[in-house]
Amino acid sequence: MFEIHRQTPLISTEADSIKIKILGLGGAGCNALDRILLDGLEYAEAVAVNTDVQALTASVAPRKIQIGRSTTHGLGTGGDPELGLASAHEGEGELASELEGAGLAFLCTGLGGGTGSGAAPMIASLAREHGALVIAFATLPFAFEGRRRATQAQESLDALRAAADIVVCFENDRMGETVSPQAGIHQAFAASDATISQSVRAVSELFKRPGIMRIGFDDLSRVLGGRHARCIFGHGESDSDNRANEAVARALKSPLMDRGRLLEEADSVLVNVVGGPGMTLNEVQILMEELNRHVGEHTQLFFGTAVDPKVGNRMSVTIISSLVAGEAAAASVARVPEAKPKRVSPPRPRVEKVNLPPAPVVEPELVEAIAEAEIAPHEPSPFFEMPEVPEAEIVTEPAAQEEPLLVPGPVAELVEASHVAQSLEPEPLFVAEEPEPEPVVEAVEEIAPEPEPEPIPVAEAPVLPPRPTRSFPRHTRSAPEPQLPMDIPQTKSPQQESLPFEPVSRGRFEKSEPTIVDGQDLDVPTFMRRNVRLK
Amino acid sequence: MAREHILVGLEIGTSKICVVVGESKDDGTLKILGVGEAPSRGVRKGEIVDFDTAQKCVHEALADAEEKSDVEIKGVYVGITGAHISSFNNRGTVLVPEDQEEINEEDCRSVQLSAREVSLPSQNAFIHSILQHYYVDGQDGVLNPVGMLGHKLEADYHIIHGISTRIKNTVRCVREIGLDVEDVVFNPFATAQAVLDQSHKDLGALVIDMGGGTTDYIVYVDGAVKHSGVLAVGGDHISNDLTAALRIPLARSEKLKVEEGSVIVGECVPGEMVVLKGDAGFAGKQVERETLNTIIHLRVRELFELLARRLDEQHCLEFLGAGVFITGGCSQLKGIKDLAEEIFGMPVHTTRAQSLSGVTSAFENPQFSTAIGLVRYAQADQIGRPSGLFAKLKRGLRIFGMF
Repeated sequence: MFEIHRQTPLISTEADSIKIKILGLGGAGCNALDRILLDGLEYAEAVAVNTDVQALTASVAPRKIQIGRSTTHGLGTGGDPELGLASAHEGEGELASELEGAGLAFLCTGLGGGTGSGAAPMIASLAREHGALVIAFATLPFAFEGRRRATQAQESLDALRAAADIVVCFENDRMGETVSPQAGIHQAFAASDATISQSVRAVSELFKRPGIMRIGFDDLSRVLGGRHARCIFGHGESDSDNRANEAVARALKSPLMDRGRLLEEADSVLVNVVGGPGMTLNEVQILMEELNRHVGEHTQLFFGTAVDPKVGNRMSVTIISSLVAGEAAAASVARVPEAKPKRVSPPRPRVEKVNLPPAPVVEPELVEAIAEAEIAPHEPSPFFEMPEVPEAEIVTEPAAQEEPLLVPGPVAELVEASHVAQSLEPEPLFVAEEPEPEPVVEAVEEIAPEPEPEPIPVAEAPVLPPRPTRSFPRHTRSAPEPQLPMDIPQTKSPQQESLPFEPVSRGRFEKSEPTIVDGQDLDVPTFMRRNVRLK
Repeated sequence: MAREHILVGLEIGTSKICVVVGESKDDGTLKILGVGEAPSRGVRKGEIVDFDTAQKCVHEALADAEEKSDVEIKGVYVGITGAHISSFNNRGTVLVPEDQEEINEEDCRSVQLSAREVSLPSQNAFIHSILQHYYVDGQDGVLNPVGMLGHKLEADYHIIHGISTRIKNTVRCVREIGLDVEDVVFNPFATAQAVLDQSHKDLGALVIDMGGGTTDYIVYVDGAVKHSGVLAVGGDHISNDLTAALRIPLARSEKLKVEEGSVIVGECVPGEMVVLKGDAGFAGKQVERETLNTIIHLRVRELFELLARRLDEQHCLEFLGAGVFITGGCSQLKGIKDLAEEIFGMPVHTTRAQSLSGVTSAFENPQFSTAIGLVRYAQADQIGRPSGLFAKLKRGLRIFGMF
């Protein structure tokens, strides 16, 4: 018998030997570093770097480097990046020796001023030259700090992206959202520091803490790399009974996540779940399920998890991702789901884009063909309402047999659209059945590759009426909605993944006779009959 | 324990069984002595589907009521509902005999019988014939024709009927426990007695009782019942919808509906979640509030729209001066008043039983409106009621649709 000592981490010793250095650069950077140290930093060494001696003295970092002794004489740069750069060159020697042997370097800095903006790119490349992998955490100034600073910050950010391996960039405005408007300004800045602190600690823990499923630097650079990326970061912790739900709820509430909306747009997302020995698989599942509801279908998920006895009861989740600039800009400009139409355009693996051009041509014929096939089994009077009663009563196959073409969802949608032309309506209940060109075209996209009925949905058709792919908007629109939300002709992608395959039981109404009014079985949930897509 | 007249109303509902014990005083006021309640099992959509279980629940509710009111209950007025019940208006005519000058009570009874001379579906029996208006020689606005001179007496009645076997089922269920069934009352009619006062009835009002299994409604125009009916859609359907959409157990969706239910869409913070804590056999779940509200909104909207359509067909909606009164368990959903106002296009009040003395908590709960209404109905009924054995017998037979 031999025992494995649980104290020793089960990972290879290589990771252990990687030195991590965290540099706080400039005023904001040092503030952030102080915050990090106050929150507790393991696995890394902290170094404060500044031109301003006063600030440097006040910092609680164990190691401090003053740069630009003769350039600034111990005073700050006065917001001039050139002075910052000069100071950095002056202090190059000290910096280099500090960075010696570091495998991983975190650079925390606030852009827009002098020291941070000027020195950061240079120090980043310095660190790289010494063989370290560089992750920079940079903040962009508040909007109220003025345009000049914003421009300076942006220029510096671009330079920093070229110099560092990964740049995690935060906009101070976003972080100010976590505090109430009544809060003091120091609280807004404190929130900014807190966010950086969380992210730095989370990322360093990613690498250093022994994990069951490791996330490596390669994963991180995959997620965060890329030019002009906007970082999405969220961190949540909880130690209550409901910790899985709460942790992920808090993480999603992070202003940098825009409450989880931005996650939909991301190509890849990194998730790290950390808990104590009491963390159960069930909790992890709950957490990930919840998270999965916020990410898009095409998003690649990097999942890492670690069990650390030191955290005790606390379960935490860190979510890191990034957006390509275009989407990021769009998402930030309008916080409503204009994002939605975008989802249609990214290439869908299933539907070949090739089919798109012929679609309009196919459509009219297909519509007629289907419309004919549709009308024939039903009624000779096309302007009367569809005989809903037989349909509603059909809880069995006949529906499927009569309308084989109805089976694939989008085709059915087509049929409905064509029916509308014949004013299908016992139901003003079926609000918003206006024929919309968009969904039809959408639907046809899907038809072209697969015109045959599929066996699986047939089992479905009897119980659920054919589902047009009309989406239900997740969030409000800015204009007040006088009618039902589903009046909005939003089109979602033509996928049927949410069709349940189990037969829908009558639930509570097993023993009673169905309520049939105007040909509709009212026992079937309203949202089902109206094909409203819910989240 | 000499109590003045004790009246008891029993409502066998889908979500709860409710027994209200009231005391009718000589001055005409009504005092509620106690309300007994028990959860209802074996009733779906307002009708008994499991006889034995339902009976047990009724028994439980009765025991509860007897204990709370300190009264031994012997006879009850039973409320009834169900999708099988329908109504129509009919006019009865009676010609006053040549030798008789004045119209008398006999004529009034005859005209009522005349109004009933209409063929009901074979399985149906009369539940109520509710007087709407009298006309003497074509003149309307006559409240009481007895003693008036005239040749022809006509009267409009609102006739309510339903499948007799189902009604008898309910009656039998109550009888077998050992109670007398004084009368069978159509639920919304009873509810209206509790919720409306005479001025509302005169102005015109619609009462909607949104219960667990059914939504009952009744329309008053010019002080008379013009239309009534039942839609077998109720709170159960909302819970069922939630269960289907969210894949949670029915009990949890019931709880969710009660605690967090709202029909307001579009006003939630996006991403705002409702957390359902885990339980035995149920892992916790988070539900987006907007989704929850949407499901409920769709169902309630559909219900109201259906109702509005029905009433429109009967041309009732134009005459409702006092507006709409919503009561019943589902009236407690947040935002339902505004939704109803939007759909009906007139003022809506979410209301409960009015102006009673006694146990206040009882009538603050809109779920008890119907049962309290039954007691009110009982009070009115007792006043106009001949007593005596033959009368009792006749009443008994009436319940079986023979009178």
